[in-house]
Amino acid sequence: MSGIQILLIGGVVTIFLYYVFRLRNALIDLLALFGFAGLAIFFILFPDYTNTIAGKLGVGRGADLLFYLCILLFIFIIVKLFARIRRLEKILTDHVRQTAKSDAQFLDDNKAKD
Amino acid sequence: MQDSSQGFIFTLFMLNHINPKEVFVVIPAYNENAIIQSVIKELLPCQYNIVVVDDGSVKSLFPLLNKMPVYFIRHRVNLGQGAALQTGIDFALSKKASYIVTFDADGQHQASDIDKLLQVIINDKADIVSGSRFLKGASHNMSFKRKSLLQIARYVNFVFTGLLLTDAHNGLRTMTKEAANKIQIRENGMAHATEILHQIKKKRLRHREVPVNIHYTDYSTKKGQTLVSSFRIFFDLLLNKIFK
Repeated sequence: MSGIQILLIGGVVTIFLYYVFRLRNALIDLLALFGFAGLAIFFILFPDYTNTIAGKLGVGRGADLLFYLCILLFIFIIVKLFARIRRLEKILTDHVRQTAKSDAQFLDDNKAKD
Repeated sequence: MQDSSQGFIFTLFMLNHINPKEVFVVIPAYNENAIIQSVIKELLPCQYNIVVVDDGSVKSLFPLLNKMPVYFIRHRVNLGQGAALQTGIDFALSKKASYIVTFDADGQHQASDIDKLLQVIINDKADIVSGSRFLKGASHNMSFKRKSLLQIARYVNFVFTGLLLTDAHNGLRTMTKEAANKIQIRENGMAHATEILHQIKKKRLRHREVPVNIHYTDYSTKKGQTLVSSFRIFFDLLLNKIFK
């Protein structure tokens, strides 16, 4: 095993364990994660297989195939994060609006009407 | 000739008296500390209800407005003009407003224009009326750059909403309470102007434009939209379309 393989497998295992502790109750997520981690370790140990798959898909090298897949994944993550930010923004807006309206006051002569 | 006939039409309009206490003027304000007092003072003689929504200004506008007969609402954090408008409109509706006006806090609008817009609604010619800087009878002292930007914005709005207006981004609007109830602004930022148009179209509200006078001061120009911010609006619109 080369140095980079040890490094990568160590990383995958660490991330996997981290999520196992965080996602203890989401069984389906954990299974999917387990599958991905297993796949990742397999391809790290036998990188030549990526070339075979890439060749079948019409891409020259396995590294290129990974690169393309990463771009797709990257866009997917941005979209997910953006949707989440919008959801959070809506929650924040509703909350701030609610407090603002209940604190509204009529300022004439400093007499709070409501 | 043109002027006198227009004057005649306006005197006809004036016959429809409106109770100013049924009108709520919503003013979203963010860091308008320098000018907010004079804007309110210009509005006070009209006797409308005034709702100032302080959109999380760094220094609260409260001390400046104290002792002025206005409703004061403050967002704890800065959410954007669209959010401030919606808060003000919600509040006005809860106070049983019959007519709701949106008015910019930077002093570019004139209080006397509000009645012009309201008359169109009272005469049952529209549910929502917005001001236009480009219709005949309007005056403005706009730079060429800003004018061209607004021309582009018109067509962007048209693509997104199906409505081609003469003025794409005018902060002066009046609407009935029914229209205000139907419109829900979800765009917190500046893209709300286009969103309102979109909802006018979707909810089949009757919309009109009325010429208004705008006076840009150095102050309001500095606070106004720039080329960069219009790109932001554009992307907000695009993303809003994708993430309904």
